[in-house]
Amino acid sequence: MSEHTLKFFGDELTQLKAEVTRMGGLVEAQVSDSVECVARRDVGLAQIIVGRDVKIDELQKEIERKAIRMIALRQPVAQDLRRTVSALKMAWNLERTGDQAKNIAKRALVLAEAEPLTPLTRAIERMGKLVVSHLKEALDAYTNSELERGLAIWSADEDVDEHYNSLFRELLTYMMSDPRTISPCAHLLFIGKNLERIGDHATNIAEILHYEMTGEDIHGDRPRRLGADGDHFHGDDR
Amino acid sequence: MLKMLHPVEVLSRLPPFVLDGLNIMELPPSAANFATQVKTERFSGSAAVLTVTWGAVCVIAALGVFGGANLTAAAIAGLVVAAVGAALAARMSTQPSTAAKASEPETPANQPFEDAVEAVPDPLLVVGAEEPDDLAGKRLVFANAAARALLRIPREGALLLSAIRRPEVLEAVDESLFGGLSGNVSFETGGAQDRFWRVWTAPLPSRGVKRLCVILMRDETDSRRNERMRADFLANASHELRTPLASLTGFIETLRGHARDDEAARDRFLGIMGVQADRMARLVDDLLSLSRIELNEHIRPEGACDLGLAVSDVVDALGLIAKEKDVTLSLAAPPKGAAVVVGDRDQIVQVIQNLADNALKYSPRGGVTKIEVTAGLTLAEASATDPRSPRLISADGGRLSLLTPDRTEERLYVCVKVTDQGPGMERRHLPRLAERFYRVEGQKSGDRQGTGLGLAIVKHIVNRHRGGLWVESAPERGSVFAAYFPSAAAQASGIPAAAVEAPAPAEAPRVIRAAS
Repeated sequence: MSEHTLKFFGDELTQLKAEVTRMGGLVEAQVSDSVECVARRDVGLAQIIVGRDVKIDELQKEIERKAIRMIALRQPVAQDLRRTVSALKMAWNLERTGDQAKNIAKRALVLAEAEPLTPLTRAIERMGKLVVSHLKEALDAYTNSELERGLAIWSADEDVDEHYNSLFRELLTYMMSDPRTISPCAHLLFIGKNLERIGDHATNIAEILHYEMTGEDIHGDRPRRLGADGDHFHGDDR
Repeated sequence: MLKMLHPVEVLSRLPPFVLDGLNIMELPPSAANFATQVKTERFSGSAAVLTVTWGAVCVIAALGVFGGANLTAAAIAGLVVAAVGAALAARMSTQPSTAAKASEPETPANQPFEDAVEAVPDPLLVVGAEEPDDLAGKRLVFANAAARALLRIPREGALLLSAIRRPEVLEAVDESLFGGLSGNVSFETGGAQDRFWRVWTAPLPSRGVKRLCVILMRDETDSRRNERMRADFLANASHELRTPLASLTGFIETLRGHARDDEAARDRFLGIMGVQADRMARLVDDLLSLSRIELNEHIRPEGACDLGLAVSDVVDALGLIAKEKDVTLSLAAPPKGAAVVVGDRDQIVQVIQNLADNALKYSPRGGVTKIEVTAGLTLAEASATDPRSPRLISADGGRLSLLTPDRTEERLYVCVKVTDQGPGMERRHLPRLAERFYRVEGQKSGDRQGTGLGLAIVKHIVNRHRGGLWVESAPERGSVFAAYFPSAAAQASGIPAAAVEAPAPAEAPRVIRAAS
């Protein structure tokens, strides 16, 4: 009897995780498309992105409803509880990531009306690629419950920050030398900030994964190097 | 699970994209024999077309089996499979009994078809599902070898969502499963190497409540990349060639005008023009080699190259320049054969050459440039640095990964590290170093001006090799550039500890004293 209940609950959890993964896929596509529409000045794509954001909000609400229902009806404990709560946290995180992508798309619409600033949009594209790859890695890690992969992303966020700082300086230089570029540059600056936030969300996903699998937060400062003080993270490695 | 699904059905639903220009009748004689055999044994009454098709399927199987890892054979197999698919699909629209006939109970004759599907060089998946909303119920009934390698999934039983998340593809799969429609979508994946994929989906006959569909993925990176590269190349080339060209034109004007009879000025101008023309030539060379590398970036090189030997070759070649600059080149590498990496030797030499060249260019007279090769590192070790490094302690200094490979299971890396005593750079320059034509302001690279493409070339080559690149630098404290490549040695797991220890840095570093 109890075995049946547990198996049923296990199926529900798998289902919940699958829904989070689907939402993750949608958000991932939104982010990479938003970078693409800035780089290629693609107005049509930007409008599609803005429209698709509704779908993400719906998915978030649905996951939330299901997770709360599971907590109420099945009263899970230990890892089952963590998995349920993680799904909730993931949904919130992904929803905000989707919002950032939508904001980028909206700004792309404005930018498409101004003169192209090719070197700058290239810098955005570069940073965007980096962020997209972080998000992809983080989601891959979450989907396949790969702790170490998640930790690698968690400690790689510094790279995104460096790119953001460098972009910031580059934009300032442009704005100072030619005031006509101030308006598009300001939009690009916000896009950079949005991307930087998406990078943060990718690290949040890694944190959620760590919590789900170990029950603990990742402690300490973000390690600069995994090998040095982070050896306990990959104990099963050797 | 695969038992209930006849591979011919899978084959028959593949998209008809390469039918044109392929004549099934022109198959090798051995294949024709095979076909005849199949015909007499099992399908003596069947229509000729069907027989030929079956024979061709066997050929694919034969190619797949006997061709082994031979890429060409696999590619041909792919074409034939697709053509067969098209032929069968056309047939099946008029003769629905074919599928029923094909899905007879398991006999040894089915094996070739299973092998055929397995040998298709493009990732191929069969999805099974019962309810549209049951996400956890959509599972892979079968994944062929290419799909397993790409998506890191088992042959059967994986959740569809753990293999593919892309919303367009999921929608197309749903349409095939529950709407009976074929789909065709394309998407781009992120990650270190961009890939463009085209995905076909098609419904298969359902088994009871279980609905099935087939997914075929094809890598279209080549053609998409070609388009983009052409545009980028033109933009880069025209912009960068303008400056030296303007200077050449200026001098030509002058020589035609008032400097016509001034011998001293003429000699000097011709000298400058020579330098500019050289620069233009180098620029064109570098741009061409960069676009060549970029075109192949997603194709992993297959050869092997001893990084230790490659480094010592480069050091020998640079000896003269080092001597001129009065810079000591010191080399520390593991013994021959201990630092072999998977890679294209010429390109790896170019990486080392570019890094060493840069180090020499910025080294002060009397300085030391160190080149170290270390083998047997895990990804974490290869991308790590010494936390006590003086460059990290400096307030303006820092360290940044310019390229990090996608994580692969337990791979080992060989790292080549070039340390110079040059002026170093502030942290803020690091993210843009591998950018084309980026220059750190205020730095003098000496009389021989670079093209600004050196590090971009390095980055793309390393990326092609699925390796990584990092830099560490601080003003007045020099720079370190490190590139690491996947080792050709065994994987990290299951390798004896001794084997890992062996390729530690050689005890007596070889030092070339330039200023003897």
